[in-house]
Amino acid sequence: MLWYKSWLETRWRFLIGLALLLMMACSSVASYPRVAQLLPDAAPLLRNIDATSVVGRQILRAVDAESTYRGFVWWQWIQDNLSKTSTVLAILLGTGGLLAQTRGGAAIFTLSLPVSRDALLETRAATGLGELLVLAVVPSLLPPLLSPLIGQYYSTIDALVHALCVFVGGAVFFSLATLLSTVFSDVWRPALLACLVAGALFIVEPVVLGGAPYGIVGAMTAESYFRTGAVPWPGLFVSAAASVAMLYAAVMNVNQLEV
Amino acid sequence: MSDALTIEAVDLRKRYDAVDALAGLDLQVPRGSIYGFLGRNGAGKTTTIKILLGMAKPTSGTARVLGADVAASAAAVDVRRRIGFVSEDKELYDYMTVDEIVRFTASFYPRWRPDLADRYRQRFGLRPDAKVKTLSRGTRSQLALLLALCRGAELLVLDEPTSGLDPAATEEVLQALVAHAAADGATVFFSSHQIAEVDQIADRVAIVDRGRTVVAGALDDLRAQYRRVQFVFDAAAPAAAFRAAGVARIARQGRVMTVLCTAGAESVVAEARALGPVSVDVMPVTLKDIFLDTVNVEEA
Repeated sequence: MLWYKSWLETRWRFLIGLALLLMMACSSVASYPRVAQLLPDAAPLLRNIDATSVVGRQILRAVDAESTYRGFVWWQWIQDNLSKTSTVLAILLGTGGLLAQTRGGAAIFTLSLPVSRDALLETRAATGLGELLVLAVVPSLLPPLLSPLIGQYYSTIDALVHALCVFVGGAVFFSLATLLSTVFSDVWRPALLACLVAGALFIVEPVVLGGAPYGIVGAMTAESYFRTGAVPWPGLFVSAAASVAMLYAAVMNVNQLEV
Repeated sequence: MSDALTIEAVDLRKRYDAVDALAGLDLQVPRGSIYGFLGRNGAGKTTTIKILLGMAKPTSGTARVLGADVAASAAAVDVRRRIGFVSEDKELYDYMTVDEIVRFTASFYPRWRPDLADRYRQRFGLRPDAKVKTLSRGTRSQLALLLALCRGAELLVLDEPTSGLDPAATEEVLQALVAHAAADGATVFFSSHQIAEVDQIADRVAIVDRGRTVVAGALDDLRAQYRRVQFVFDAAAPAAAFRAAGVARIARQGRVMTVLCTAGAESVVAEARALGPVSVDVMPVTLKDIFLDTVNVEEA
């Protein structure tokens, strides 16, 4: 029943996030015909863009990627909407828990149950990661399903590979929020700090590593898979290791808590 | 630890930063007793209960509950399966309904009593579909009590179970506790700073002050042993010391000297005769007198 408790505590964040992502996936697919129409008109404008600047390079990368439908789905849906929104949702799912409950007092009731603190945190983490997996996978299945409606095709395999990469990358931010939630007794500081870290990574990593497959953001957006079909294993490994380390630290913290 | 004891704490100490919440507390709670744990706010009652439930670790000393050392995490989990607990603030999960929190709690206790849960739900007028967050403080306390009583527990640990309740609800809770202890033979250990309710239902009592037990024993024995001896002099009461054992406190006010004895009031009276009092009265004391006097002694 700890699962049930964790589900009840996070269900609205999860359900609202799922609805949001489903709408974004639909909207991405639906907007392609208009984008495909506009892209040829934009071509002359590209000659005036400074390809040496960071912003200029980003614009050219976007236009280049979106020249095909597969590229459009990757750029618009996966590396933009899904990756970034999942990151925020992962952080929201990771916040809260035992220490935050000390403010309302329900933590004492929880701790009076015949359950170890390890089990409390592990169940909450497992529930949150399960929800994050659903958030990554279910909306990602919409492009393969909806693409025929606009006369296009998108591979289900591609959708699943990208969804799993988003999940593994998102787990890093979930674990960070979970860890911070064992340090701060409110839900806002863990969420804000984790968002700051995520924001910094999303800005700095592409500039420093240029979308290389060994960074966390690089693994999440899986540009290497989109461009060459190579799954970003190094980045996925780094992300998984970082998540495990942070969840382990969270378990250690929660065992030391004086409630 | 003797089999006759449900709780045994020896020289229990707990330090939070620079504050000693417990400063060598000793406790022996016999099996099957209704044990009142009295103390002022901040005396160390809640800290003691947290240690007994394995929620907090003592800085030093030992605490054994139902035969297990609760400082060990695994043992504490097993022990909690055999304990019903109500916290001081009665906070539960606001987002659950009454039915959900009952089913949730029941899932952790193999000896859960669904028949009892139904009976208490009706007795307390708890609607199964009512959200916990909509319950009044009194009703929430009754729900917390239901969740504790129905666990089939060998030991009930209740931290200020009647705090915030009106007199009628307080009476109902106390009656439920007594009935439960009588029917199931469970040990009831409850903290309170309401002396009247401890006096009403407890058969044993400990008074804790500044993290230490200052009085402990069977309530009837305490009532039988403790006496207040009042001497009236024809001039100001002399500043006398007594050699007799059992003098807990001496107070002087004008011509009156009052001596609280934990035992041997006769020896005190005999000794005081030499001081020439004009009158001597030996009076029984109430639990309230014992509490106030022992706590005052600690302050002095």
